[in-house]
Amino acid sequence: MVIDMHVHPIFYDIICGDKNELAFRQKEFGVWKQSPMSFDEFFAEMDAGGIDRAALLPLDLTATAGGWIVTNEEIAEIVSAHPERFIGFASVDPNRGDAVEVLDYAFGKLKLEGLKLNPAKQKFYPSDSIMEPIYKKCIEYNKPVIFHAGLSWEPDTPVKYCNPTLFEETAMKHPDLRICLAHFAWPWVREMAMLMIKYPNIYTDTSLLYLDSPEESMQRLFTVDMGPRWFERSFYKQVMFASNGPRFRAFKLKRALDKVSMRDYARTALYAENAERFLKGE
Amino acid sequence: MVVLKTISVMSRKAEEFINITDEVHETVESSGVKSGLAVIITSHTTTGIFVNEGLPCVETDIADTFTRLVPLEAPYAHAHFLPSYGATGNNSTGHIKSLLCGNNCIFPVSDGKMVCGGAQDIYLAEFDGPQKRTIFIQVIGE
Repeated sequence: MVIDMHVHPIFYDIICGDKNELAFRQKEFGVWKQSPMSFDEFFAEMDAGGIDRAALLPLDLTATAGGWIVTNEEIAEIVSAHPERFIGFASVDPNRGDAVEVLDYAFGKLKLEGLKLNPAKQKFYPSDSIMEPIYKKCIEYNKPVIFHAGLSWEPDTPVKYCNPTLFEETAMKHPDLRICLAHFAWPWVREMAMLMIKYPNIYTDTSLLYLDSPEESMQRLFTVDMGPRWFERSFYKQVMFASNGPRFRAFKLKRALDKVSMRDYARTALYAENAERFLKGE
Repeated sequence: MVVLKTISVMSRKAEEFINITDEVHETVESSGVKSGLAVIITSHTTTGIFVNEGLPCVETDIADTFTRLVPLEAPYAHAHFLPSYGATGNNSTGHIKSLLCGNNCIFPVSDGKMVCGGAQDIYLAEFDGPQKRTIFIQVIGE
């Protein structure tokens, strides 16, 4: 089993009927020169990497940009078409007045399986008081949160909101809230390692914005930015496989990770077990 | 008379050779051109069009030779994040193999049919799949 925990379904053709909406998504996400694609094409891509399931992430920018990079309802629509392959996440703009109601509907009615937030894009700090009811709603439903952390390529995303150390208070205050600081919080990989050592409820994923080939980037992450045995000795229960599609092609990242030396139990955890625990809890 | 048609092919592997011979023949025959030339051109920069004998062993030797000439892991300049895409390239091998392979082939058309040698099959060479690919077939004649 292999689960890709970070996919933005911006170009899934069943939700690309409105050209203006697609243009909004592309502009706000900062991705160009790609076109709507069918499930057949996406599944071929997943199959090329032996990837069984993908977590699909929306983003609510109602308060900051007046729209969504894929809505909760669109995520639910995609998942309902292929529940065997997709895991649907919700999003909510913390700055909207009805944030808790939107989230309750997403978890309770749409049956979405976690929350995705981007502090830099949505303009909040993780320890802001407006976040408390949102965290409590996640705990009430036993749902995890994926935060964008580290560099974001999306336009209008000051990195001051995404330093991983900003999430420490939330992890301390809510030990029963499972938190993923996505993208290894790149370039703050050491800070990310520090947080994982201290807080078992903190996870990360492999979808960093890489500057070299996938092979070079994953080798650097797992043997230079971290010590060559840190992952399997200390963090093997806290790192999840993730691609950040459509920015990066998942099967190439998987190919690169297959070449990183690690024990079998660590690889199994990286590719699926950690995602399953992150989604459902122990 | 000049007739332009397109065919679509869905590749399912990172690299594969897809035999499109029958589809090309049918497309040329449906063009209405009785005597002239047919040109088969890929519309991509990480695919190729080539003509060779349709045997698995020949396909393997061609693929192995491409990979020996253009290895996956090498310090390619194109292996980086592309701001104009908001995505990574990392498909240098596809671009280079496409260049080595060539992007087209050409055959005569006679009596409304494309004329090929007995061992001449036509392939789309995928070097950066899986992807949906488009191939142009232009038939020129009378």
